[in-house]
Amino acid sequence: MSPALFLKFVEVSFRKEIAYRFDYFVMILNGFIYVFVFTSLWRTVFAAGGGTFGGFTTKSIISYTVVAMVVRISFSMDDGLIPGRVRDGSVSVDLIRPVSFQLMNLAQSVGYSAFHLFARGLPIFVASAWLFGVRVPAEGLPAAIVSLVLAYLLLFLINFTTSLLAFWFVEIFPFTLLKYGLINLLAGGLLPMDFFPTSVRPLLSYLPFQHIFYSPSVILTGRVAPGNAPVILAEQAAWVAAFAVLSAVMWRAGRNKLVIQGG
Amino acid sequence: MIEAVNLKKEFRVNEPGEGTFGALKALFSTRKRIIRAVDGVSFAIKRGEFVGYVGENGAGKSTTIKILTGILVPSSGSARVNGIIPYEDRRRNAANIGVVFGQRTQLWWDLPVRESFEMLKAIYRIKPDDFAHMMKKLSSVLDLGPMMIIPVRKLSLGQRMKCDLAASLLHRPGVLFLDEPTIGLDVLAKENIRTFLGEINATEGTTIILTTHDMNDIERLCGRLIMLDRGRVIYDGLTNELKQRFAREKLFEVEFRVRPPSLADVPELEVVEERGSKLSLRFRDGAGGDLAAVIGKLAAKYDVKDVSVREPSVESIVRSIYEKTLSLPPYRADG
Repeated sequence: MSPALFLKFVEVSFRKEIAYRFDYFVMILNGFIYVFVFTSLWRTVFAAGGGTFGGFTTKSIISYTVVAMVVRISFSMDDGLIPGRVRDGSVSVDLIRPVSFQLMNLAQSVGYSAFHLFARGLPIFVASAWLFGVRVPAEGLPAAIVSLVLAYLLLFLINFTTSLLAFWFVEIFPFTLLKYGLINLLAGGLLPMDFFPTSVRPLLSYLPFQHIFYSPSVILTGRVAPGNAPVILAEQAAWVAAFAVLSAVMWRAGRNKLVIQGG
Repeated sequence: MIEAVNLKKEFRVNEPGEGTFGALKALFSTRKRIIRAVDGVSFAIKRGEFVGYVGENGAGKSTTIKILTGILVPSSGSARVNGIIPYEDRRRNAANIGVVFGQRTQLWWDLPVRESFEMLKAIYRIKPDDFAHMMKKLSSVLDLGPMMIIPVRKLSLGQRMKCDLAASLLHRPGVLFLDEPTIGLDVLAKENIRTFLGEINATEGTTIILTTHDMNDIERLCGRLIMLDRGRVIYDGLTNELKQRFAREKLFEVEFRVRPPSLADVPELEVVEERGSKLSLRFRDGAGGDLAAVIGKLAAKYDVKDVSVREPSVESIVRSIYEKTLSLPPYRADG
């Protein structure tokens, strides 16, 4: 797929989100409430607990929370898209196009997320940064951008792989629920990995989830020494590669299983 | 151009339970039923042919089309379109074919028609000159002008089908697959689309495979007919030949001034139905089919007021093949 065509798919998906989002202000408000609730929560907890916990101060946990939540909001993806198109059979239209199914879906996802980045993520970040005094150190920015791109690809591939299960099972809601649970708990969007008991942390480091929101957020907020960032990026890249291979294998196998619903 | 060799496609379906309790039970049972939607289909289609692919619901038409377009992978057998194996080389095949599904659109639901076409231009890498040329041609034949700025979701079914047809042809595919393109359309819209398809086949030399329930589509357009029943080919040949083979289906509606007691002088005919002095007759089994001779004989021997001949429609032939009623005993031994 040429970059120009990729961007066209991004654009169409972005515009579709604009056209359908009448609940835009509700969505922004919803994002703010999340940020407000969690920053208030940590402020109270840290005040009661003496000001430091798990290597965080009150100020740094608020920075982390704002950044991680903005990343989480900006990484919004429509993970019901492929299962929906399998369920109503319109996936057959996707398959008659001379383009890669994976790249087309990635482009659509990027368009969808771009809307949430510009419409929700950035406004919430700007307002929160001003309200809570959040600072993003400039020296970590190049590594943070690479980390964000890898994190996005990882989340996309996890969603894509889960979506492909629809080729086997038409109804994949249980899998989606499990995925939500794992990501909400283990990806670092709501609470940093540092808050988990030391006994389970080695286990968590063998899972891909922390590389979705935790890794880019700690790099963005400057909690990682510049020398350590490449290690994290390499781990992220390895997980992206692993899921790319897994999704490719599943795609090949799933093609044989596909049934087109509704003729 | 298109070749299918012993194509088979099996689907495994969970046996659904009856009612709520049955549905619950089905959650835990592993009882699976195998449906063979396509069961050993073979055919070869040459460049420029216009082939009707017919069969009842569930006969396997759409499944075959979906294998040839690369959407589904066959369980066994093989297929080639233009030398490409569609399910192994889906994208390369897709670049050379056009597909229309009557039941769903390939256009972008929320985009104006013009922008959908622009998307296709990018997807199929159509050169600007070729695009302008095809756009001009298609919009004049299909009268797309007024629809160009309307979002696809606001088009009527007939308008949408015209746009879908145009969309499938923009990249000038060598093969066009049409899966029930006239479904749900009114008579006028159907007629427009038939005329258009005939022209495309004649002028562009596009090979076209058409599945349809509407036998008028077949009679008007398809020189060749492939008929499917329960996943197997039961007829593959010229549409006209089929009609001739079933000349016995030809009905003579004869009205007599004086109703003769018997038709012993015309032994090649038998009575199918009688309504007073009007008889419906047809050729007896093995009686040949010399139309002029038999009508002459009728007129010479009996006091005939009026004769009309009803050609069998392909539809009635198809129906009688399905119902296996072609060798039904005559209604009455003699008049």
